[in-house]
Amino acid sequence: MRQLTQAFLEVEEKLISLLEEVRSLMPYVQSLEDENLRLKRESCALPEKETERVIANAARIEGVAHDNLVRLYKDGFHVCHLYFGQPMEAGACLFCAGFLRRE
Amino acid sequence: MKILCSKDILQTGVNTVQRAVSNKSTLPVLQGILLKAEKQTLTFCATDLEIGIRCEVAAEITEEGSTVVPAKLFSEIVRKLPDTIISLDLNDDVLIIKYFQAEISLKNYDPQEFPLLPDLDDARFFTLPTALLKNMIRQTAFACATEETRPIFTGVLLNIDGHTIKMVGTDTHRLAYRIAEIPNQDELQFNGLIPSKTLSEIYKLIRDEDEFVNINFSDSQISFQFGSINMISRLIDGQFPNYNQVIPKSCDTKIYVSVDSLLDSVERAALIARDNSYANIIRLAISNRILKINKVTEIGKINEKLDIKMEGKDTLISFNAKFLIDVLKIIDCEDIVMEFSGSFSPGIIRPLNDSNYLYLLLPVRAT
Ligand SMILES: [Zn+2]
Repeated sequence: MRQLTQAFLEVEEKLISLLEEVRSLMPYVQSLEDENLRLKRESCALPEKETERVIANAARIEGVAHDNLVRLYKDGFHVCHLYFGQPMEAGACLFCAGFLRRE
Repeated sequence: MKILCSKDILQTGVNTVQRAVSNKSTLPVLQGILLKAEKQTLTFCATDLEIGIRCEVAAEITEEGSTVVPAKLFSEIVRKLPDTIISLDLNDDVLIIKYFQAEISLKNYDPQEFPLLPDLDDARFFTLPTALLKNMIRQTAFACATEETRPIFTGVLLNIDGHTIKMVGTDTHRLAYRIAEIPNQDELQFNGLIPSKTLSEIYKLIRDEDEFVNINFSDSQISFQFGSINMISRLIDGQFPNYNQVIPKSCDTKIYVSVDSLLDSVERAALIARDNSYANIIRLAISNRILKINKVTEIGKINEKLDIKMEGKDTLISFNAKFLIDVLKIIDCEDIVMEFSGSFSPGIIRPLNDSNYLYLLLPVRAT
């Protein structure tokens, strides 16, 4: 009988140490899960933010390009597809004006 | 070839086809007029290879044949001939012109060398009322470019789509657009660029009594037949740009003004503007239902004031006076509507209550 009690005590001891080990691992699991969630959120959020940045940048570039085209036109060069870059004889072109207005 | 005809008949034929005679041709025979006597018809024919004109007149022909007379000399001779019956008699390559007891001998070109005008046999065909065609030419061809450096703008776009006919001319500074309905042409489709020179010659040659103009066209050529005249022209190669996107769809300022008053004012201002470094530029100042045109130059100054009806914002806008005068002269209407969107966007001019015509004019960035 004593032998049996001894065996149970040993099992209890093992379980306690196992439980301790599990408890000590809990924060790691927690932090890994947190990390995972954060990474998941980030991986979803990133493209959206990036898209906004790309759009903003494209708009800025487009704006700059449009300003450049307007400047080019005001400096007396065609920006229409018919005569792009060629000097305008009389300082104006309906097709350039139409093109710049459409943008 | 032996012909008897009046001086008048000769004069008519020569005057009609002379517009097509080449004046700088490398091919000498093109500086001539082909005369062809067949049955009881004398045909005059000239071409510079861009345009060809043929004119048929009735004559008393006793011997058929053909020859090519030197155009300039022959037309001067014809003009100076007495008003009587003239006899033309071809002897090898010499044409003998007889009247009263006198005669002139003229060395001619070989008719075999004269290019045949194409007949456009397999062409498609349609008919337009003369008055409509004339009016459409008058309202659009003037806006075309004259410099040959930009070939597509030296022509008027003719577009026919079933019942609708459109003509558009532009030199990239202004654009004239005219649309009309034509009856009984359900299946007809045409899109081609006709040299404005061709159209203005047609305009000059068509008489009001020619009720209809018969038009034949292929992919590269178009011919117009009216009265005793047949005119053939090449079509201009190339794609006419999309003109729709240059026409603004909205405006900030709209004014209603009498054509005659505006034309008079602009013409007077242009007189003062002429002697100026900004040649012929006039500025319209629109505010408080008044249109002002003020111009100060070294030779003098002018203050024009017109009462107008207006909607929208006040505005200042400068135009080349000639481009404004051009359109005011061809608008068949007492009043026009002008639409502006600031000093830099094109202005639109339309006849009041008529959506079939539109003129677009770019402002000039002026002082
Ligand atoms: Zn342009």
